[in-house]
Amino acid sequence: MRQIEVSGLSAWFGPKKVLHDASVTTEPGMVTAIIGPSGCGKSTLIRCINRMHEEVRGARVEGKVLFDGIDIYAPEVDPVEIRRRIGMVFQRPNPFPTMSIFDNAVAGLRLGGRLPKAELAERAERTLRAAGLWDEVKDQLGEPGAKLSGGQQQRLCIARALAVEPEVLLMDEPASALDPASTLRIEELVDELKEKYTVMIVTHNMQQAARVSDRTLFMLYGQVVEFGPTSKIFTRPDDRRTEDYVTGRFG
Amino acid sequence: MSETRRKFHVELEALEVDIQAMAELAEHAVGRAVEALVANDVAEAEAVIGADDAIDEMYVSVEQRILEALALQTPVASDLRLITAMLHINLHLERIGDMAVNIAKTYRSIRQLPSSRKILEQIQEMSDVVRPMIRTSLEAFGRRNLDLCLRLNEMDDPVDRLNLGMYQEVAALAGDPATLNWGLRMLLIARQLERVGDHAVDIGEQVGFLLTGEFREFTDASHPVHISPDVG
Repeated sequence: MRQIEVSGLSAWFGPKKVLHDASVTTEPGMVTAIIGPSGCGKSTLIRCINRMHEEVRGARVEGKVLFDGIDIYAPEVDPVEIRRRIGMVFQRPNPFPTMSIFDNAVAGLRLGGRLPKAELAERAERTLRAAGLWDEVKDQLGEPGAKLSGGQQQRLCIARALAVEPEVLLMDEPASALDPASTLRIEELVDELKEKYTVMIVTHNMQQAARVSDRTLFMLYGQVVEFGPTSKIFTRPDDRRTEDYVTGRFG
Repeated sequence: MSETRRKFHVELEALEVDIQAMAELAEHAVGRAVEALVANDVAEAEAVIGADDAIDEMYVSVEQRILEALALQTPVASDLRLITAMLHINLHLERIGDMAVNIAKTYRSIRQLPSSRKILEQIQEMSDVVRPMIRTSLEAFGRRNLDLCLRLNEMDDPVDRLNLGMYQEVAALAGDPATLNWGLRMLLIARQLERVGDHAVDIGEQVGFLLTGEFREFTDASHPVHISPDVG
């Protein structure tokens, strides 16, 4: 469980600056929610934190992201290793459609080299348990992952992200494509995960941010407007713009 | 960007208008109940008792609408503070209405007994202090004015003093059992008026919470400044 310290971070897509001098420090064992209207830079911010942003053609980054004190943009740092240690879950469940549940769960592990069968089985069970899916799938591990419900598929993707033993988990609207029951299951899972992982979650659902996070970051037009304890952001935020956004006076 | 919760915010404004209207009714009821007593006007007392139904109906309506807004709109930040403040203010106003009724009923039960002009003047004086307190607390609410909230505590001091002074006045009636019987009821009425003042202070505290996000009691009931009734 590690600390992420973002300071003076700016990001561009080609000539367009989409993130302006953002700074935020996450605490280990805490869930940080990022809220703000569409296009405010939420996803860009978390994609900069595991060096996914640079994968887009013409995209670039300035500023610092320290991961446990190490600058992840330093020339000697391997972005693939960063992405292993800082995992990511996306908006739409994206299990590998032709792979079984078991193979999906350990897909990332296999990329890292061959492991004995028994160890793979043990790691699959551990990661599926961590994602709260084991009891539901333990008797159908050979079935295709695509056969699961949307909520189960998303938990399978979380299991896949956890299998490689990351220290930080970034979640980009992980429940926005799910029904209410699956959404609540994911939220419960986030609460369990924070004991082992530093979690950052981008969400459009403000009530979800209020329910799952310890700290909330509000962004607007690519800038960090306010960052503080979630209870404070939702009861008496300091900034008028935060107040207007969370109360729905604009959005 | 446009406002996205217009309907909800219109409802919050409507609730606030109703609370202000209810405050006017409650304050008026207190004034009329004391007038009935001082002028020995039983018809006025009956009118106060009858008029309380309107306050009660408003109370129930406001509370139901607030519960609905909490359930359906999940308010946050200043909206959350406003709605919880209104939930409390609503109850305080309903209680003030009940106190006016208590005063009217108490008067009705002893209207045939001999009275003391001096005590009636004191009761009138208390009413003349607590009614502006209700108005001030609601003005603080309407204008979102913290200074007005903080003034309430000071305004309440003479009420407490007058209430305690009543004990001496009533004790002085000891030689006249019929008037003493009347006087003992006046203690109850003074107590009701003192409570009306407390409710106004409590409303001010809610407005303070709305404005600052921090709840602070203006008076500390568990550590009061000691004033003995005997030395009034």
